[in-house]
Amino acid sequence: MAITVKTLWEEGADILSLSIIAGEQYLDRKLPETTMNRPGLALTGFFQYFANQRLQIFGLAEFTYLKSLPQEEKMKRLVELFEQQIPGIVITRNRKAPREILDLAEEYKVPVMRTPMVTMNFVNECTVILEKLTAPQERIQGTCMELMGIGVLLRGAPGIGKSETALSLVERGYSLVSDDVTEVRRTTRGRLVCWANEVTRYHMEIRGLGIIHVPSLFGVAAIRRQTELDLVIDLKPPTGDEDRTGVHPDVIELMGVKVPCITLPVRSGRDMANIVEVAALNQKLKELGHDAAKELDDKIINRLTRGRVRNG
Amino acid sequence: MAEETIVKDFKVMNEYGIHARPAALLVKAAGKYECDIFIEKDGNKVSCKSIMGLMTIEGYPGSIMKVSASGCDAADAMNEIGELFNSKFGED
Repeated sequence: MAITVKTLWEEGADILSLSIIAGEQYLDRKLPETTMNRPGLALTGFFQYFANQRLQIFGLAEFTYLKSLPQEEKMKRLVELFEQQIPGIVITRNRKAPREILDLAEEYKVPVMRTPMVTMNFVNECTVILEKLTAPQERIQGTCMELMGIGVLLRGAPGIGKSETALSLVERGYSLVSDDVTEVRRTTRGRLVCWANEVTRYHMEIRGLGIIHVPSLFGVAAIRRQTELDLVIDLKPPTGDEDRTGVHPDVIELMGVKVPCITLPVRSGRDMANIVEVAALNQKLKELGHDAAKELDDKIINRLTRGRVRNG
Repeated sequence: MAEETIVKDFKVMNEYGIHARPAALLVKAAGKYECDIFIEKDGNKVSCKSIMGLMTIEGYPGSIMKVSASGCDAADAMNEIGELFNSKFGED
């Protein structure tokens, strides 16, 4: 997914303390490779391999090198750099941009930004933002909760009780991430991150009540901005075909990522919040390497097969 | 219809005996029927609809289990339970 320098500017200007010092009207330039490049080597005149599609970062090294060049040579090298159709420049450590760069930026229609941050910190922060901007993202149907550090996505047909279950969980002290509509992003680590749509964030719709605002009713501890997804729970009408042991847990694929999935039958009067709570706890236990169902099964198989030898 | 109890003996033929997976299959099969189904071995009798019960009955490979079913659909239930035992619970 290609983004423009403007996308980065809008998302990151605050976090990265960016200000624009030249070529503001050219912020629409595409950023084909969503990463950064230190153009030090290019400034020495080596362009055989130059990552011209990336944001160019001018740090202390680049400035010191430019300073060492005679005026004429400096201009020549900078022209060569701009000739490469670079998408944008960021100057770190709040260095004053040389006149040449500002002029060339206007001439070649390249936006130039500046930050007080040290280059290393800027690159780290900016990488995180760029990764977030370009990560695959989807909007899915489901209510997302966070229980003791375990991210749980509740899915199910409308009216099956996703929001009611979430509400009971909130009353038990757990946190709401999103109600009914959940935004999901896949990180480069292959994890899914869930959060709520900006507009409806922290609101819930409860049948018979209408819209409620969760933090107003339950306090800020009842909400969470985002969570990593650890478990999907499908609420379904009972079929009689539910998993009875949990020895072979189901896994579903969401945006190409495998996530453990549990199907819970909903019967009237069944305390779903309680079961979801235990499911999350059990998932936490599994992630710590303790799989109760499997351990019990192994124990039984061990006993039974020893018994065969004794009997035989 | 008269409440008749059907009783049959089955041998546990799979390699590991009645561990979690076979227990789950038995419970699922039994759960579909109205009738009461019990499994008995060495004087221990548990409901065939209880997974924890089946896992405690110690169904060693090679052991004989006495299955009893009583109720209107007992015959069908017995057929399905028998099928599971005879097919080694789909294992091996």
